[in-house]
This record gives sequence, structure tokens and C-alpha cells, in this order.
Amino acid sequence: MQLESGELPLSFLLLMLGAAVPMVLVGSRAKGARLLAAGMLIAACLAGSFVAALGFWRTSSVLMDFTGFTPFPFTLEIDRLSALFLLLICVVAVPVAVFAVPYFEHHCPERRRNWMWIFFSWFLLSMIVVVTASTGFAFLAGWELMTLLSAGLILIEGDSAERRHNVFIYLLMMHVGAAMVVASFFLFLPYSHGLDFASIRAGSAVLPPAIRTLIFLLAFVGFGTKAGIIPLHLWLPRAHPIAPSPVSAIMSGIMLKTAVYGFVRFAFDFLAGGPSWSGYPILVAGAVSGLLGVLYAIGEHDLKRLLAYHSVENIGIIYLGLGTSLIFLACHAPLWAALALVAALLHTFNHGLFKSLLFLGSGAISHATHTVDLEELGGLQRRMPVTGLTFLIACCSIVGLPLFNGFVSEWLTFRSFLAGAALMGTKAQVVLPLMVGVLALIGGLAAACFIKVFGVAFLGRPRSTEAEHAIEAPLAMRGGMTFLAAACLLIGILPGVLLKPLVALAQGLVPGAGVPPETLAITRVLPWIAVAVIGIAGAAALAAALGRVRRIVPAWGCGLPTLTSRMQYTSTAFSKPIRFVFSAVYRPDRKIVRLPADQPYFPVSISYSSVRTTSYEKSLYRPFANLFVAAANQLRRLQTGNIQVYLLYIFLTLISLLIFLRFRG
Amino acid sequence: MRLALNVFQWLLLILAAPLAHGIIAQAKARLQRRRGASIWRPYADIAKLFRKEDLVPPSASWVFRVTPLVLFGAMASAAAFVPVVQGSALLASRGDFFLFVYLLALGRFFLSLGAMDGGCAFGGMGASREALISSLAEAPLLLGLVAVAILASHADIAGMVGWTLQQNFFKISAVHILAFLSLGMAVLAETGRMPVDNPTTHLELTMIHEGMVLEYSGPSLALVEWASAIKLHAMLALLIALFAPWGMAPHVSAAPLLVALLVYFVKVGALMALLAVIESSVAKLRMYLVPGFIGVASAMSALAVIFATLVKR
Repeated sequence: MQLESGELPLSFLLLMLGAAVPMVLVGSRAKGARLLAAGMLIAACLAGSFVAALGFWRTSSVLMDFTGFTPFPFTLEIDRLSALFLLLICVVAVPVAVFAVPYFEHHCPERRRNWMWIFFSWFLLSMIVVVTASTGFAFLAGWELMTLLSAGLILIEGDSAERRHNVFIYLLMMHVGAAMVVASFFLFLPYSHGLDFASIRAGSAVLPPAIRTLIFLLAFVGFGTKAGIIPLHLWLPRAHPIAPSPVSAIMSGIMLKTAVYGFVRFAFDFLAGGPSWSGYPILVAGAVSGLLGVLYAIGEHDLKRLLAYHSVENIGIIYLGLGTSLIFLACHAPLWAALALVAALLHTFNHGLFKSLLFLGSGAISHATHTVDLEELGGLQRRMPVTGLTFLIACCSIVGLPLFNGFVSEWLTFRSFLAGAALMGTKAQVVLPLMVGVLALIGGLAAACFIKVFGVAFLGRPRSTEAEHAIEAPLAMRGGMTFLAAACLLIGILPGVLLKPLVALAQGLVPGAGVPPETLAITRVLPWIAVAVIGIAGAAALAAALGRVRRIVPAWGCGLPTLTSRMQYTSTAFSKPIRFVFSAVYRPDRKIVRLPADQPYFPVSISYSSVRTTSYEKSLYRPFANLFVAAANQLRRLQTGNIQVYLLYIFLTLISLLIFLRFRG
Repeated sequence: MRLALNVFQWLLLILAAPLAHGIIAQAKARLQRRRGASIWRPYADIAKLFRKEDLVPPSASWVFRVTPLVLFGAMASAAAFVPVVQGSALLASRGDFFLFVYLLALGRFFLSLGAMDGGCAFGGMGASREALISSLAEAPLLLGLVAVAILASHADIAGMVGWTLQQNFFKISAVHILAFLSLGMAVLAETGRMPVDNPTTHLELTMIHEGMVLEYSGPSLALVEWASAIKLHAMLALLIALFAPWGMAPHVSAAPLLVALLVYFVKVGALMALLAVIESSVAKLRMYLVPGFIGVASAMSALAVIFATLVKR
């Protein structure tokens, strides 16, 4: 076997994650066993990133056939698209696993720690199967395992009634989505020889238009549920906050991306664009998810819920790019379709990096202060300098500021919108340039939100004794976060490392596309911007340092002897103007109770509560749930519990089948 | 030669920025029948501040100290995108207007963080209000530029300016009027001028930008003030370059360049006079009326984009 081929490292990866890591942990409860398991897991992921890098940069395709071991055709194949997502999984999994070593030791109950690692390892394995599968069965097996194992990881932490309810909603929505994904695979069957991807591709050429549309819509909604586009996002802000931080990092950073992978695989690879209008629903879904996601995020002060809503926002940005790409495909503009697809895929990768970094940061905060409520934090930058710096880099990245990786993908998305203006005489010519305004609004609101997050949590004075006595996270946690922050900066300043293979990938998915000049332009200009900003800032630092005396003086307290932390703006106060302007979106449920009620002007106590009810549950999901429960109640009449009746059912079924067969033939 | 010229333009935008502040202040004073301070006063202020102590609140981290540097770096880099006396600039053909706008956003992001780091109420208040206004103002700013870019079929600023230079003033479409109005309103919001923010106020109920820089002093304050002057100057110069570039030197030689420089001074002087008139005649909007103001700008810029695509058809 040559070194070029990736079969050996890939089988190493699968064996390690699937069998070796769990075996070590089942064998021993000692801390050393967990360290060994973590080391093996990291080694496996490094091997995996080697395979992925080979596939991504050199397109050395890898094929592994497990059909002999399974009742179904089960093969794994790494093409460029798979390699990109495998690279994302492995590159993010390594720092997260490093971070998780001290995190699980501190925050997981003793008897559950080993299970945590076992599930973690299998969870990674299931996602790797999803993105490398090249048969429908392998894909669906990985897809289902991914859902179940992530639910297990959430439940390992504890099983209070509320947690179980949230996991129930998560599992319910995931299975509705999975049912649609299954259906969209099976709809190919009459037209293709099997469910391996090659046959599906061949079969999609002869699909009738109606089936084609149906498959596209099912894949859109099915994968959209996993991706968390609004209004299918309901599970996301419930499931992410209750998972342990490294698990949230994996769920938000990688698991959501498998949905993007699935959608790209279907829409671009299998269906080659879908129906001619296919881009518009995607574009609308992206715009709605982006705007509402960021607005809901601003209203939150629980850091992990806030980050979960930002995942909705960023999935929205990714879908904006995908929708634009589909519109260009339908307008026969392959070059710009490739540009928009590159933008979407790069944002997928970038989001995986900075969102997992943000969740790790929230883990480091809760490790130090035992809370992720922004109102209890403050002043952490001085107490946790490395966590603070890496978190700041992640904030700049997610906001899309130049020199950080989020900017590159948002810039490419902007430019693909602008390119739409050249589609003479189409709807897209008007719609796409206007989307610049939507994305600008999303970006501006995201900036507002992360000024709030970083400013309230890390800057100013501590708002609680826990925050005041916070100490920096252990070395392993810092190491994991630093790695991810460095990756964000690298892509932010030298995006060419990823853009070149990404363009090649897009050219594979969009036949006839050249190299979009924008991808070259941004690669050339960003180093100059970096040199300019850093150079000028450095010069200014020198100029300001000449003969300067720096003195630490208390801020002017308007006559009060000292300023206290209570005088700072809180997270709620900071976001108030935006919530006020967009109050139509939030519709808070405010209750003011004055006691005693008969003396309105001399109250003894006034209590105020403001709850943001999500109207999705009330007006969108509740009717469905009621209908379902009502139907189930009717069906219960069939279940009498009497064995004779069941025998009658079997008999009747048999008779009707026989009649059916008789008249069919 | 062109490189030297581009460096000269860039330095002009940076070094003359405090002068722009001084001239606007002087013009406002005249309109209010005061004599006003000398137009060179901002230079004296900056020189004075550079010699003074830098006072840092005890709660502040390095973010507070780095903020003026990043802000200045971002604004000065953004200035390298704007042509002044001829149709190119240091970075104008390498980058596009998205980069220009996002460099401004980079500076603003850090300024807001620096404000939050002071640990007193005013910083948070200023940052919170700035967050509202700037997050809304970004859309009309970008859409207005998109409209011009669509007409010019170029996204880099040099290309946009070059296209406008080739057009006859009277043949320019109504898109330009809409785009100019919406961009002008967005610039007012972005640079914190009346009626969005009062740059001369120190009343805690109304201040936005001043609230954010309240804890800064000495060289840090000098850099912050200088950076906001660069921002204003660069945006005025950008408006001129995009909407009235006529008079710019068609090629690099001494006489046309001198004329172009003079013409530029006249044009930027007219814009500053307009700004002074607006600031002296308009009351500051109540804060929750500002979204409506920006909404009008957004609607106009969206119309500009729609019309631009129709014109192109």
C-alpha cells in the first residue's frame, strides 16, 4: 500500500474511534485510562485530518467497502466534498478533545466520565460515517446514530425532567427530519439501480420533474431541521445549552454542518441544481434564519443559548450563499454559482472553527465561575487573559471583521450578491443585490451582539464574587482554544490556503465553472490590509508611547465616592435599544404585579417579569401536536388488549392481502 | 510616480483630517454669529493631548489600551481606499467598498469594547446606543454603494470613480441622486453628526460617541479623536469621488494635479459648509426616532439599487 492512498489512516481512524477507545474505557475506571483514550482519539483524528487533507488538496480518492460485514451495501468514499467536511470534523475534534480532558474530569460525575468519552468517540465516528458514506444505507445509519449519540451525550450530564423534555423535543424533531431524508433517498429508487451514490447520480438524470421537485423539497426540509433554519430551529436553543461545553462545541461546530453537507450533496451533486426556482426558497430561508436568529440572540443573556441562536444566524448566512448559488445555476452562470458555493462552503468551515471556539470559551467561563449567565460575569479579561484573547478572536471572526476568517466568507457572499446584478432580465438581477442590505443588517446586529457578549463578560468590573475570583483555565483548555483561534486568524489573513481547493471543489459540483476572480482578489488584498492595520497601529503605539506616563486612576463617579459594578451597563440594558426597535419580533410577555392590589399608589411590593414566548411553539407546532395526539387517541380504540381481537386483525389482513394479490395479477 | 501620488493622497486624508474638523467647527460658529476657535485648533488639541498623561481606569484590561491603536490603524487603512486628486488610491483597485466599510466596522467594534472596558455607566451607554445606530446604518451605507457599483459595473472604488469620470454630469441618472442622499444620511449616522448624534455635547442623556470616549485621555484620546476625524474626512472624500469626481487629474502631471487639488478643496469645503448648515439648523433627533431616519435612508438606497438594475437592463 502506498503512502498516498488514505485507506490505512482511515481504517485507523474508524477502528480507534469505534472500538479501541471504548475498549480502553470499559476496561478501567482510572484517570490514566481516560487520558490514554483521549490520546488515542486525538491520534485518530490527526490521522483522519491527514486523509482529509490528501483528499482535499490532492483529490486522492479513498474507497472502503464494508458490504461484507453488513446486511446492506455499506461503502465509504472520500471525494473532495467529503474531504472538506472530514477535514472540518477532524481539525475541530482535536482541540475540542484536548479541551475536554480537564473539562470532563471536573464537570462530569465520576461514574459517568468513561461513558462520556465512549459516546464522544462514537459521536465523532457517526459524523465521519455521514460525511464519507457513499451509499444511502451508510449515510442513514450514520445520520441516525449521530442523533441518538448526541442525545445520549446530553443525557449523561443529568436527567432532570426539564432536560428529558428538551431531549425529547430534540429527538422528535430530528426524527421527523430524518424521515424526510429517508424518503428523499427512497424516491430515487425506481429510477436508479441502487442507493449507492454513483447509481443515484446516474438515475437522477431520468427523474420526472415532479419527483425531482419532491426530492429537493424533502431534502431541504429534512436537512433544514438538522441545520436549524427558522422555523425548524426549535430544538437548537434547547439542546445546545444543556450539553457539556465540548459537546455543544461539536454539536454546533460540526453536527449542524453535516446537514449542510447533506443538502449540498443532494442539491448540487445528485440533483445538479433541482428545479429552476430552487434557489429562492433557500435564499428566503437563509435571510429569515439569519435575521431572526441574530435578533433572538441579542435578546438572550444566557451565553450558551445566545451562541445557539447565533448558530441559527450563521446557518442562515450559509443558506444565503447556497441559495444564491442555486439561482446562478438556474440562470446558467456557472462562474458565479461556483463563487457563491465557495462562499457558503467556506463559511461552513469558518463557522465550525469559531463557533466551537466560542462554545469552548463558554466552557472555560463556566469552569472558572460556575455560570454562563452574562449578568453574573464581567472583568474576566484581566483574570483569564488567554481565554479572553481567544474568545475575542472568535467574536471578531463571527462578526465578520476584516483579518478574521468570518470576513472572508461574508465578503465572498457579498460579492456573489453583487454579481447577481449582471444577470440581465431576470428576477435575480433585482433580488440578489438587495440581499446585500439583509446581510449587512445581519452583520451589524451580530456586531452589536458580540460587543455585548465580550464587553459584559470579559470587560469592565466583575458583577459577582465568582467572576471576581475567577482563575484562568488549565493548560489543556487554553491549548485547545489557542489552536482554534490561530486557525481563525490564519484563514482570515491568508485565505488562499483553503480557497484554492475550495474553488476546485466548486468546479467539480458546478460543471463549466472557471476560477472566480473574486477568490484571487481577496487572497491578494488581505495580507496588505493586515500589514496596513497592524503597521499603522504599531506606529501609533510608538508615537503614543514617546514620553508618555500611564497612571491608573479611578474613573470619575459623578461625585459618588466609588463606582461599583452595579453601575455598569448590564447585558439586558445594552440590548434594550435594539429590542425596543425590533419589539415586533420579540413580543415579550410582561407582567407587573403590585401588592396589595387595592392600593395602586402605595404598593408594598412590585414584581416584574418579562418572558419572551416563542410564538413558533404556540402557533406553529401546537396545532400539529394537538392533531397528532387526537389521532393517536382515536387509534387507541383499535388497541383493546384482547388477544382474540388481535387474531381477528391478523386474519383480516391476510384475507385482504390475498384478495389484493388475486385481483392484481 | 503614481505610487508617490497615492501615498500623498493617503497622507492628505490623514493629516488634513483634523483641519476638516476645525473648519466645520469654525463654520458652525460663524453661522451662530460667534467668532469660534481657529481652524487649526484640533492640531493644537492633538499636540497637547500627546504630551499629557494617559489615565487608565483600574478595571480596564489591555483591550482598553489597544483600542485607540486598532481604531487608528483601521481608519487610516480605510483612508487608503479613497481617491482624492486622481482616480486611484493606494488600495482602491485592490480592495472594494465592502472592505472599506468593514474596516470602519473593525474600528467601531473595538471602540465599543474600549468603552465597555472603562467600567462606568457612560461607556456602556454610548456603546449600546452606537450598537443600535451603526447596526442599522450599515445596510443603507452598503446598498447605496452597491447602487453606484451596479451602474459602474465595478466593485473596486477606483473602477467606480473611473466610470463616473467618463460620464457627462447631466447624463447621470436619478440613481445617483437617491444613492447620494441615502449615503449622505448613512454618513451622518456613521460619523455621529447631527441629527443623529451631537458631536459637541457632553450631556449624559444625549451623548453617543462622546460617551464611548469619556474614559480616554492623553495620547489615547488624541488617537481616538484623530481617527474619528479621519473617518469623517475619508467619507466626505468618498462621497466626492463617487458622485462628483469631475476635476480629478486624468493623468499624472503637475498642472492638472494642482488644479485637481484646488477643485477638491472647493468641493470638500462645500460639503463641510453643508454639514455646518445642517448642524446649525436641525435639532438632534430623539434616539428612538433615529431608526426612522435610517429607515428612510435604507428605503432610498434599496430604491436606488432597484433603479440601478432597471437602468442596466
